[in-house]
Parts: sequence; C-alpha cells; structure tokens
Amino acid sequence: MIALYRLAFLGLLIFLWWVASINVGRNLVPSPLATFQAAQVMIGEGRLATALWDSLSIYLSGYAMAIVVAIPIGVAMGAFRVLGKTVELYLYGLAATPRVAFIPLVIVLLGLGFEAKVFIVFLGAIMPILINTYAGVLDADEELIEMARSVGLRRTRIFVQIVLPSAVPFVIVGLRLGATIGLINTVVAELYTAVRGLGGLLAIYGNTFRMAEYFVVVLTLAAIGIVVTEALRYLETRLGRWRKAA
Amino acid sequence: MSMDRPIDGIDGRTEPGPGRSPAGAVPGARIVLDNVVKSFTSAGSAKSVLALKDVSLSIEDGAFVALLGPSGCGKTTILRLVNGLILPDSGTVRVSGKAPAPGPNAGFVFQSFRLIPWTNVLGNVAFALSATRLSGAEKTERARRYVELVGLGRFAEAYPSELSGGMKQRVALARALATEPDILLMDEPFASIDAQTRELMQIELMRLWTMRRSVALFVTHSVDEAILLADKIVLMGPRPGRILEVIDVGLERPRWSYDLRAHPRYIELRNYLWERIRDLVMNDPGSDFYGRDLGVMSSSGRSD
Ligand SMILES: Nc1ncnc2c1ncn2[C@@H]1O[C@H](COP(=O)(O)OP(=O)(O)O)[C@@H](O)[C@H]1O
Ligand SMILES: [Mg+2]
Repeated sequence: MIALYRLAFLGLLIFLWWVASINVGRNLVPSPLATFQAAQVMIGEGRLATALWDSLSIYLSGYAMAIVVAIPIGVAMGAFRVLGKTVELYLYGLAATPRVAFIPLVIVLLGLGFEAKVFIVFLGAIMPILINTYAGVLDADEELIEMARSVGLRRTRIFVQIVLPSAVPFVIVGLRLGATIGLINTVVAELYTAVRGLGGLLAIYGNTFRMAEYFVVVLTLAAIGIVVTEALRYLETRLGRWRKAA
Repeated sequence: MSMDRPIDGIDGRTEPGPGRSPAGAVPGARIVLDNVVKSFTSAGSAKSVLALKDVSLSIEDGAFVALLGPSGCGKTTILRLVNGLILPDSGTVRVSGKAPAPGPNAGFVFQSFRLIPWTNVLGNVAFALSATRLSGAEKTERARRYVELVGLGRFAEAYPSELSGGMKQRVALARALATEPDILLMDEPFASIDAQTRELMQIELMRLWTMRRSVALFVTHSVDEAILLADKIVLMGPRPGRILEVIDVGLERPRWSYDLRAHPRYIELRNYLWERIRDLVMNDPGSDFYGRDLGVMSSSGRSD
C-alpha cells in the first residue's frame, strides 16, 4: 500500500516539476522529458557510468574507512570512562568545525587525487558514527547490567553481551548520518580537488548551463542517497526484530 | 534523620508482638547479617542516606522470609547485600558461611523485570545459566524446562516486548529459578501486575517453591502477601532503614487448602501488622502521610 502512495507522490513531484519547467523557463528548469532524453544520451555514451563509478568508489571507500575507525574508538571511549571523558570535549569541538575548512590542508598533504577525496569523505562520515557509538555505549541500561552481574558475569562478558548490543540502535543512527554527510563530502571533494565523478559533471554542466544533464546528475545523487539509507534501514529492522512492530 | 523523637510502639525488641522470634545473628544459619550498616551518597548531592542501620538477621535453610515495610526502609538494599552486588559499610553479611558473591547460587527477581529486550524468552532464561558449567545444549534444555514450568512454553520464541506484564514476571521468575539456586531473592515481584494475575502468580510461586525448597527472601509492602507466603515476616521501618521485629507466621501450608482470610491467626497478624505500619508511616516525617489519621486505610489494603 505504502509503495502505491509513494509512486503516486512521485507522479505528483514529476507533475510539479513539469509545471515548473513550463513556467520558469526551459533554460533554468528542464522539462522531465528533456531530462529523460539527456539521461539516455549520457547512459548511452557511458559518461554517467564512469562518473558514477568514480564517485561510488570514493564514497564507499571513505565511508567504510570511517566505520572501521569510528566504531572501535567510540566503543573504547565508552568502555574506558576516563578516556571518554578526556577526549569527548575535543571531539565535539572537531565535530562542530566545518570539514570544508580542512580541504586545503588535505590537498597539501594528499594532493588532488583519489586518496585526498577518500580522506575528505572519511572526515565527514567519521564524526556522527563515532559520537553516536560513544553515546550508545554510555546509554546501556544500568539495571540490565546489574542483572547480568547478579547472574555472575564478569565485566568483559557484560560489556559484550549487554552493553554492546544495547548500543546498536545508536550506531545505526550514526551510520545513517555518516552516510548522508559522506555523500555530501564526496561531491564537495570532487568540486574542490581534481574535478571528476558526479561532482565533476555537476561543475561542468552547471558552468555551461546544460540544465537537463545537470538534473540527471542531481537525480543520480539522490538515488544513491535513497539506496544507501534504505539499505541501512533494512539492516536496522533486521537487527531490531525484537521491537514491537509499530 | 535523627531518632530523638519518641515514637510509640516502634521498638519491637521490647514490645511483645504475636509470635516474635529473635532478630539477631544466629551463627550457622544460611543467611546471616550481623550489624550491617549501609549508606548511599547519590550523585550530585553531598548528603548521604542511611539505607540500613545496625541490621542483624538470620535465616535458616528452607525458610520463606518476607521483608515487609513501607518504601525506603532498605528492603532492596538487603537483597543486594545478600546477593553480593554491594558491600556493607560496616558489619558482615554471610551466606553459607562465606561473603556472598553474585552467581548461579542465588536467583534474583528484580522489581522491574529486567528482561533483555533483544533476546527471546528462552534466551532470557538461558542467560541466567551464562556463568554455569552447563554445555550449550544443556542450557537450552534447562531453560526450556523452566519456561514450561512457568507456563510459557508457547511463548519461548517471543520477545519481551510481545509479552504482558504478568508474562514478563513469569520469565523473570523462570530466569531466577533456572540455576536451581540455594537462595531465591525476590524484590516486590508482583507489585506491578494486576490483582488477579498477582493472586495466580502467588499460588504459582508457592507451587514452584515447594517443589524445591530453597531459602526465599521476598520483599513486599503488602501485608496480605507477606502473611500469605511467608514463614517469617521481617518488619522494617524507614529513615534510617532498620528491622523492627521478626514475626513467625505459624499458619499451616498449603495455605490455599483452607480459607486463610477467615483464620483467626491471619486476622490477628493482619491487624497487628497494619497497626504497626500505620504508626510507622504516620510518625515518619519523611512520609506523605505524616501526622494524618489513617484509620480508614487499615481495612483497604496498602501502606503507600
Ligand atoms: N543506589 C542508591 N543510591 C542512592 N540512594 C539509594 C540507593 N539505593 C538505595 N538508596 C536509598 O536508600 C534507602 C533505602 O532504599 P531501598 O533499599 O531501595 O528501600 P526499599 O527497597 O525498602 O524501598 C532509600 O532512601 C533510597 O533512596
Ligand atoms: Mg525497593
């Protein structure tokens, strides 16, 4: 049923887009049809696939690195309270600093290529994952922990069997935020360093006012966002089967 | 809280109640508390609360003992001490002659059920066996047996969020029983379930407990529940938490085979305990009912 509503809503959006394209003028907002034709051409020439592959490899590498680094650090900070209390202040400060501020530094250190881009994605995605993992570990239910102590479990097993599982919902929220920021930073990286990938196409088409092609790129980025967040949501429902179905 | 205010009839050690027994430490008993003092400092406040003051208590093997008293008199604290979850500030706690340590030798039914939400009923019960030497298959088999025993066989695969309050309580009970412990600690286990379910659960508990008589320490603030279940009632008072007296119930078991509520002993005990608790609550400056006339309440069930 909800799939039907979603399709109907998509229809409405396309209709509004079409109305806008007629009223605003074809030079700024391309019509749905023109965009569709532009997409066919770009796919046929393989231009879209190349750019997509470029962007995806940067995005997924940076995001994976962020996950691999953020979760252990977040867990360690939660497990060792002194460490957490010491570091958290700086972490929150860093998280509040716009990551764009680091781009010149990254370019100096890593150049304009693949590594620099991956690192910019990594920088964006790591903070929400780390902070949420840390919060999740700290949030573990004291009463459940006491129950586990009463059963005779030692600290390490309580941590593995009670604390870590109760942090999972937080970690997933972090993963979702990280995925969004990571995608944004992919485009930012492609605009600020060597101009390639989907971000590169955005720059080229935007500067030359080829709005139909430009829209194709925007829609592709939106599609990536949807696929990734839906995948995470699927993971969440799989891991959260124990929650009462709403 | 100072004790300079003279309170009538509070000193249970001098006033003869019906069927009093010595409250002090008897060496050789299964559970012995000797002059236990325990205070807590809550986070963010410099003041500390005296949860237990000079508590001495002995419990022999096979006894079902109810800790009765209004909230804040240290009942939960006694259970946690006996389980070895916390240590006394001074005095000693001995279980089977040793300082207690948490583990499968004691089963704890907590006031809030404390089920693991991401594990099903079977997993929750099996969790109690985590620190035992049983093999994986034995744990599952044992857990399943206790799930059946509390009547939840059909819900073994259900998650806690799918269960009613009464069912959650059964899971918590099965978990405490599954290790077949020498000591059963229960903290107001039936306080948060409805009256009908509570009565059924009380009968259920008695059935399970008679099957394998361990020492049972049962916290309640219901006078009726205490008389219904216990061999001995430990009456406690608040601010500071302390034992006022220990009363032998002396009613025959099983208590469902006759009309308990009409028994003269039941009526005598009930009136006596109500009197004591009413005085306690009315004379406790920390209580909501301080200084009020609670005469009407003595017939209606609860102390707080
Ligand atoms: N962990 C704790 N931190 C601070 N105060 C506590 C703690 N546990 C118990 N207390 C205090 O000790 C007193 C006795 O508590 P408790 O044993 O829970 O009483 P009861 O179970 O009889 O209601 C209460 O005043 C309570 O506020
Ligand atoms: Mg309590």
